[in-house]
Amino acid sequence: MWRFFAGKGAQYLLVVVLTVAMNFVLPRMMPGSPLVFLAGEDVGFLTPEQRAQLYALYGLDQPQWRQFATYVANLARGELGYSFQRGRPIAAIIGERLPWTLLLVGIALILATLIGAAMGALAAWRRGSTLDLGTLGVAMFFESVPSFWLGMILIAVFSAGLGWFPIFGAGTAGVSLTGWALVVDRARHLILPLTTLTLITIPGTFLIMRYSMLSVLGERYITTARAKGIAERFVLRRHAVRNALLPVATVFMLNLGFIVGGATVIETVFSYPGIGRLLYEAVLNRDYPVIQGTFFIITISVIVANVASDLLYPLIDPRVRRG
Amino acid sequence: MPFPLPRPRFALGTVGWIGLTLLVILTGTAVFAPALSPYNPEETVADPFRPPTRAHLLGTNDIGQDILSELIYGARISLTIGFLAAAIAVGIGTTVGLLGGFLGGRVDTTLMRAVDLVLVIPFLPLMILLAAYLGPSFWNIIIVIGILVWARPARVIRSQVLSVKALDYVEAALALGSRPGRVMVRHVLPAVLPLALAQFILAASNAILIEASLSFLGLGDPTAKSWGTVLYYAQVRNAFLSGAWVWWVLPPGLLITAATLGFAFTGYSLEEVLNPKMRGQRGSS
Repeated sequence: MWRFFAGKGAQYLLVVVLTVAMNFVLPRMMPGSPLVFLAGEDVGFLTPEQRAQLYALYGLDQPQWRQFATYVANLARGELGYSFQRGRPIAAIIGERLPWTLLLVGIALILATLIGAAMGALAAWRRGSTLDLGTLGVAMFFESVPSFWLGMILIAVFSAGLGWFPIFGAGTAGVSLTGWALVVDRARHLILPLTTLTLITIPGTFLIMRYSMLSVLGERYITTARAKGIAERFVLRRHAVRNALLPVATVFMLNLGFIVGGATVIETVFSYPGIGRLLYEAVLNRDYPVIQGTFFIITISVIVANVASDLLYPLIDPRVRRG
Repeated sequence: MPFPLPRPRFALGTVGWIGLTLLVILTGTAVFAPALSPYNPEETVADPFRPPTRAHLLGTNDIGQDILSELIYGARISLTIGFLAAAIAVGIGTTVGLLGGFLGGRVDTTLMRAVDLVLVIPFLPLMILLAAYLGPSFWNIIIVIGILVWARPARVIRSQVLSVKALDYVEAALALGSRPGRVMVRHVLPAVLPLALAQFILAASNAILIEASLSFLGLGDPTAKSWGTVLYYAQVRNAFLSGAWVWWVLPPGLLITAATLGFAFTGYSLEEVLNPKMRGQRGSS
């Protein structure tokens, strides 16, 4: 088991190292001055003295290894650099945006896992029925739908058309709300992006649960349980679903990177002020330091989630502990 | 016959045929775009923001281009990017899977570690980062997608290589003194190629969806409009806040879905026919 963690730990560390290295190399490798990528395209208008100052500020006059050491040291202190376009440190910008994404992604993941697993178990139990084939078709459809397009359609129908929900943002601007009114306002803004992200996340869980459940239902201990005369719903709940859930837990984490990516486009559609929307705004403005900082934070979050799942997995599956 | 034998499954099944039909229609549209399309998609042919009329079945966009023509030509861009990106991905995936599975040992461990590594990275944000640096262009999108979606094909191919390697004819070839490299290319590779085709089709499905996302974020080539790029402009011009969504937003999204589904259905069915162990996994039995 320790070997397992050592191997995985080394792998995650490698991902972090590669991410850091890529963020360091990319602006310096591109044609033209790295200043353009670090400080923005406006550097073209600066006087030579100002440019030299900026050059020194970024340490670009120093040897490469020295620059890299400074870069890593800054990252370790949580300094992600400075966005000249926004005139603020990147860590502060991301700190403001991250909670919104965590809220959106967190709730969507929980909802999608619960709904997907329940539907998958039911579909497998009624294998070949209209219910099974119907849900399978719907799942395949939502797996193939572009997430941002689904969001646009939901806005067109429910916000612009019916006027049930606000069109953009995470809260009503220009009014100060407190208490219950604040919660309701935030929730109303959250519902459509949340629905979109949940809908596109369900199929993955559903398909894995259905497959896992099908193979579990073919196991001998299920036949034994049935032969003992245990009621069908107990066989399903106590014997089958519990074991079938294990691969779902794995996929849950594996999908995290994918879901964060999905959140990026969905936040863009709904102008939801999360980290994904920040990434989009940075791309639009060619604000390279922000693109890099955001990517770095997203990667770190995904790795933290993976580590957490590796540590939790033995708790839900005792076989891993013994193995 | 007293005992009816189970019929061997070589047919694609209903799902496979639906997928293949969708692909044939969409590919046909792409190939015959100049003949099918009523207007030149790059020309301003009417007033901007026109609702559908008999002359312009899906209306016009923000600069007066015919949306229907845009979508017909968009099939070319979207499908080409999907095919080429999938070709790169499956090329890398097959090489990695073949080398890892056949050579085994340290090579295999290292390659599979790389596969796990790629699977952990949040790929859409990484693609956004790379595409932002490389700049929006047709080829950059293809390369960025291609070099990031090879991991799943590599895994599937590797497991198939492992089972082929255990077959008698491979052992016989090695016993007869064929060099391992030759056995790998002449005997093992042909055996996994059909599966590589299935993986190619699935990767294309994936690539089309990713391309749509990247283009929607404004990272697509503005001179070669794909379906995703059409949606990008619809979003920028707030088409989904007016009635225009019915003819400007709905059709391109349905086309992307149809292409993704077409590839996915065909790929899954093919995978099932080729690899009976996977039968029932996607439930299209």
